[in-house]
Amino acid sequence: MGLIVKTSARAIIPLIGIFGAYIVMHGHLTPGGGFQGGATIAGAGILFLVAFGLDEMRKHYNKNLYSALEGIGGLAFLGAAMLGMGVAFFYNTLWHNGPFFNGKPGTLLSAGFLPIMNLAVGLKVFTGLVSALTAIALYRRWKS
Amino acid sequence: MKRTIAYLSLLFILGVLLYIANPNYGLVFGPGGKEWLALRYTDNYYIQHGVQEVGGMNIVTDIVFDYRGYDTIGEATVLFTAIAGAIALLRPWRRDEA
Repeated sequence: MGLIVKTSARAIIPLIGIFGAYIVMHGHLTPGGGFQGGATIAGAGILFLVAFGLDEMRKHYNKNLYSALEGIGGLAFLGAAMLGMGVAFFYNTLWHNGPFFNGKPGTLLSAGFLPIMNLAVGLKVFTGLVSALTAIALYRRWKS
Repeated sequence: MKRTIAYLSLLFILGVLLYIANPNYGLVFGPGGKEWLALRYTDNYYIQHGVQEVGGMNIVTDIVFDYRGYDTIGEATVLFTAIAGAIALLRPWRRDEA
C-alpha cells in the first residue's frame, strides 16, 4: 500500500487494539465481550496485513506461537469453568466465596470468572482469526 | 420435473411459516404485561436475579458465560474447529514445496 495508508495504519492500529482490549476487559459491564472484542483486535491485525503487505506480516507472524495461544485461550476458559468443580461445572465460585473478582456489581473486579473467561475467549478469537486470515493470504496460487 | 417439485415444496414451507408467524394463530410479537410473564418468564428470571447470582451488570454476558456456559464452550469449539480446518486445508501441497 501507499505511504498515506501505511502512516494512517501506524496511527490507527494501536487505537483499534486499545479499543478491542477495552471491549474485552469490560465484557461483564458494558455491551460486548470476548467474541466481539477479539474480532475487533483481529481487525487491527488484518489492517496490519493489508497495509504493510505479506512479507512484513511473515516477519511478525509466528505460526506456532499463535496456535499455542489459541489452545491456551481454550484451556483457560475450561479452567475457569472448572474452578467451582466442588459444587458443579460452571459454578461461579469466585463470585460466591472467592478471594478476588467478588467486588460490588458494576466495578471492574466483580462477576467472578466472567472477566477471566472474556480474556480467554478474546485471546482465542483474536489468534484464531489472525491465523486463518494469514493462512488465506499465504495461499497465493490463482491457477491450480 | 424434480426442480418443479422442489420449488413447490419451498413455496409450501414458506406458506406454513407465514401462517405460523401470523399473530392471530401463532407467534406473539412484542409481548407485554401479562403476556410477558406468561411467555417470557425465563427472561424475567434472568433480568431479576442475574446481577445477584452472577455479579455482572451485562445480563447477556451473565447468561452466555454462566447460565448457559456449555453453549459458549460449544461455540468456542466450533470456532476452533473452523480455524483448524481452514488452516489445514490451506496448507501448501506437497508437490509445490519441491
